[in-house]
Amino acid sequence: MKLSTYFDNGEFVLTGEVGPIKGAIPRDRAVVPRCAREAESLYGRVHAINVTDNQSAVMRLGSMAACVGLKTRGHEPIYQLTCRDRNRIALQSDILTAYSLGMDNMLLLTGDHIRLGDHKTTKPVFDLDSVQLIKMAKGLQEGHDTVGNEIENPPDFTIGAVVNPSFVPLDLQLMKMKKKIDVGAEFFQTQAVYDDKIVDEFISKAEKFGKPVQLGVVLLKSSQMGKFMNKNVSGITVPQEWIDEIGSVDKLDRKKKAAEMMGRFIKKHKSKVQGIHIMPLGWTDIVPDILDQAEIKITGVAGQIHVKKGS
Amino acid sequence: MHATIQKSIKEIVGYIKPGEKVFVVGCNNCAWKCHSGGEDETKNMARRLEKRGVEIAGYSTPGPQGMSLCKLDNTRKVFMEDYADQVKKADSFLVLACGQGIHTVIDATDGGMVHPGCDTIFGGETVSETQIDEFCSLCGECIVEYTGGLCPLTLCSKGLLNGPCGGAENGMCEVDTQRECGWILIYERLKKLGRLDLMLPYREPKNYAKWSRPRSLQVSPEEATFSSQDGEITISNQD
Repeated sequence: MKLSTYFDNGEFVLTGEVGPIKGAIPRDRAVVPRCAREAESLYGRVHAINVTDNQSAVMRLGSMAACVGLKTRGHEPIYQLTCRDRNRIALQSDILTAYSLGMDNMLLLTGDHIRLGDHKTTKPVFDLDSVQLIKMAKGLQEGHDTVGNEIENPPDFTIGAVVNPSFVPLDLQLMKMKKKIDVGAEFFQTQAVYDDKIVDEFISKAEKFGKPVQLGVVLLKSSQMGKFMNKNVSGITVPQEWIDEIGSVDKLDRKKKAAEMMGRFIKKHKSKVQGIHIMPLGWTDIVPDILDQAEIKITGVAGQIHVKKGS
Repeated sequence: MHATIQKSIKEIVGYIKPGEKVFVVGCNNCAWKCHSGGEDETKNMARRLEKRGVEIAGYSTPGPQGMSLCKLDNTRKVFMEDYADQVKKADSFLVLACGQGIHTVIDATDGGMVHPGCDTIFGGETVSETQIDEFCSLCGECIVEYTGGLCPLTLCSKGLLNGPCGGAENGMCEVDTQRECGWILIYERLKKLGRLDLMLPYREPKNYAKWSRPRSLQVSPEEATFSSQDGEITISNQD
């Protein structure tokens, strides 16, 4: 189902995320790929699941195949598509293909640079940027490609986009967010945020656009991960108090602690946004616990979920 | 200018067959500024090769300082007149210049065998005697009217045209944390110029047909014609 349907109904939209495996889906259907197993924990607890596109520029199974796999298993995938590896012919073709294979939601983004990944001497494509990609997707929905040729059976899907609330200067990031809205973005997922002040400043400025925003959160699994992210992951800052808190418990208790910290953070901010996008980095099994701690209650099953924000 | 850097002496020596007589060619313009193929480096390369057992037929940086190797009529004259005997003796030409210079040597010697002595790395601004930086990607369709004169295709690692990705931190690029985010540079400059309005409109994708290879340019005092996969564009210089 299109995520825009939920947003239009004023529902609080929850999404998770899985990364396709580094390898192929086994022909033996009894063997379930890790990303599909991770998705199982999210079943019935989120509206849809992002499937990353060669995330961090590390070559993996295609987002499209993993999306089809999840769809077959009853999940609602969000097909992530980046500009890094495809020219405009491939981007348009992949959008038409994804829709033809059942995708109702696509998250259109620039993509991490080749230098951050495992194929560092590859030619970076970036034929389009994310704004141009969104405009192109909108054009396909309207029945034409980028050169104005008509297409048969225009696709119909929800166009998602990304914004980074931590970007300095924020006004520059908001200018780009506005451009994305102008050309067709229907909702936004933010990059990972941990800082209350950053959330508040961003929301106070972005709410004027009137587009649904899902606050993006990445599970903090350990103090080492926090330090690593601060040193190596661009655009994300983990405050010292988060690092200290997750570091204050034994390894065995970290999942519980991570769920408690993230649940508390989401609970604090959920009333300011139209949804939450949880990036569990493999710890999808604690997502239900996080949602419980955040007092986000869910009834129904995937495809027919109804979420209440709680009190 | 075309920035060049010499290949390692080991790689260069590896190109040369036993007994091959080599004529070393430099460029008195760009390669001179890069210290990759000026008069001193050309002479020195001949000496370095001789030391490694390579037979040198001669060496030259055609023309006075400031003369480009890629100016074919001058290079041909120097080769065919001033250095005729040495050029005749040479089995090959080691070119300490950019790729355009290498092709000029092929033309100037009527198809002589060439070896690249340099890697051609970019077109750049000579910021100082010791620093050359890249500000233009030679794309064939300049868009810096909208970006305060700073090219996003060149200064942004991803070549984005509608603003920054989300990856910059403390103003630095996610790809190279020692380098400033090109879009933050553009934003700060337009802000200073009072032209942030230029940031707001949607910018169309590049016309890569103008960035096709190889391209050519026909010039005269009156007009110029640029040929690419996008077709021929003739512009008057006099209107």
